[in-house]
Amino acid sequence: MQFTITERLAATLTRACSIAAVAALSLAAQAQPTGIDPEAQRLLKASTDFLASQQRFSADTRNTLEIVLKSGQKIEFNHAARVSAQRPNKLRAERSGDLVQQLFVYDGKTLTLFNPKDKAFAQVAAPDTLEGMIEFARTQLDIVAPAGDLLDKNAYGILMDGVTDGFVVGKAVIEGVRCDHLAFRAPHVDWQIWVQEGAQPLPRRLVITTRDLPNAPQFAVTMTKWNLKPSFDAQTFRFTPPAGATKVDFLPR
Amino acid sequence: MKRTRILKAIVVATALPLLYLAETSPDAARGLTLLREARAVVGAPLTPMSVAGVARRSTARVAVASTAATSQQQAATAQQQQATAQQQTATAQQQAATAQQQAAAARPAGAPPAGAVVNALPAGCKPETRNGVEVQNCGGVYYRAGFQGNNLVYVVQ
Repeated sequence: MQFTITERLAATLTRACSIAAVAALSLAAQAQPTGIDPEAQRLLKASTDFLASQQRFSADTRNTLEIVLKSGQKIEFNHAARVSAQRPNKLRAERSGDLVQQLFVYDGKTLTLFNPKDKAFAQVAAPDTLEGMIEFARTQLDIVAPAGDLLDKNAYGILMDGVTDGFVVGKAVIEGVRCDHLAFRAPHVDWQIWVQEGAQPLPRRLVITTRDLPNAPQFAVTMTKWNLKPSFDAQTFRFTPPAGATKVDFLPR
Repeated sequence: MKRTRILKAIVVATALPLLYLAETSPDAARGLTLLREARAVVGAPLTPMSVAGVARRSTARVAVASTAATSQQQAATAQQQQATAQQQTATAQQQAATAQQQAAAARPAGAPPAGAVVNALPAGCKPETRNGVEVQNCGGVYYRAGFQGNNLVYVVQ
């Protein structure tokens, strides 16, 4: 009998789900943890403190973003970004993905957004710290630096703001790296983080579930190729408009 | 309010490209609309890309700056339950746009109103400098590029 692709997929999914269900059963069977487990807090703080203490770093990120259509259907978009940062006030992010190819450069004074395909860039004066700039970009310009929360020196405070519950899910492997898997819950958002085991507790994955939007869309970022001794040059955090590029404005909100 | 905003963003993003695609290739419309919708939405303020963003979004924020009067009207029609205040804004903007449209006598028939924001240019545009500003001339309708959040959009002049 000839199965359609959909039927076969459904059968495979059903099998996968039963296997996953068995694995998840042990977790689900546990009493639902309430409050914040100090061990989850400790593991998170070790990670955020470690990253906050790094003066220069770069990483590759893979970002997955869910959009809920008016019908309720979820659509997923993917993009990758190479992120380079130097504290206290330099950032470069090169995004490429489904549709967006974009360069984001912050030199400590000016923030530049450049779309290479459109040959268009915009520049605006920005606060003189990484933290101030990320906040400014998010609140004033509606620009989101992927996983910008983690770059902030006060990442712990930002992430834990309003958190009511948190626990250690267990051990996990992200892209071949052993991690501690932590889960937290705040009034409007659930989030999970995977922190590398050992002496370099780097964040390896972050998943944000927005409970205050219909169908709770998720954003997920996986971080690979962490480099804590990157070699940056004079051009890394400087934007030089290519020939023929047009300067445009940030439109007023 | 939050729901209204995301719906509005999607309706606006969908409606405008459709206007252009309808003339060219009906079959291509769905795929392209989705792509453009995505382009409009990725990086938009409602995308859950940061914990801080979600936390702060829950505090009231002023509604998104208007886009096209036409798309506002469509958005309003699509969402009957939209706030009265927003409808009034839409009406005021539509009136303003209509006035501008009447003022621009040379504007081709069926052209989008000044101030309308689109995510992609129609076909056959040529860059030119007009009043010292670089714009795209699309069959007599001028568009100026600008960033709205992470998205490059075009505003009808």
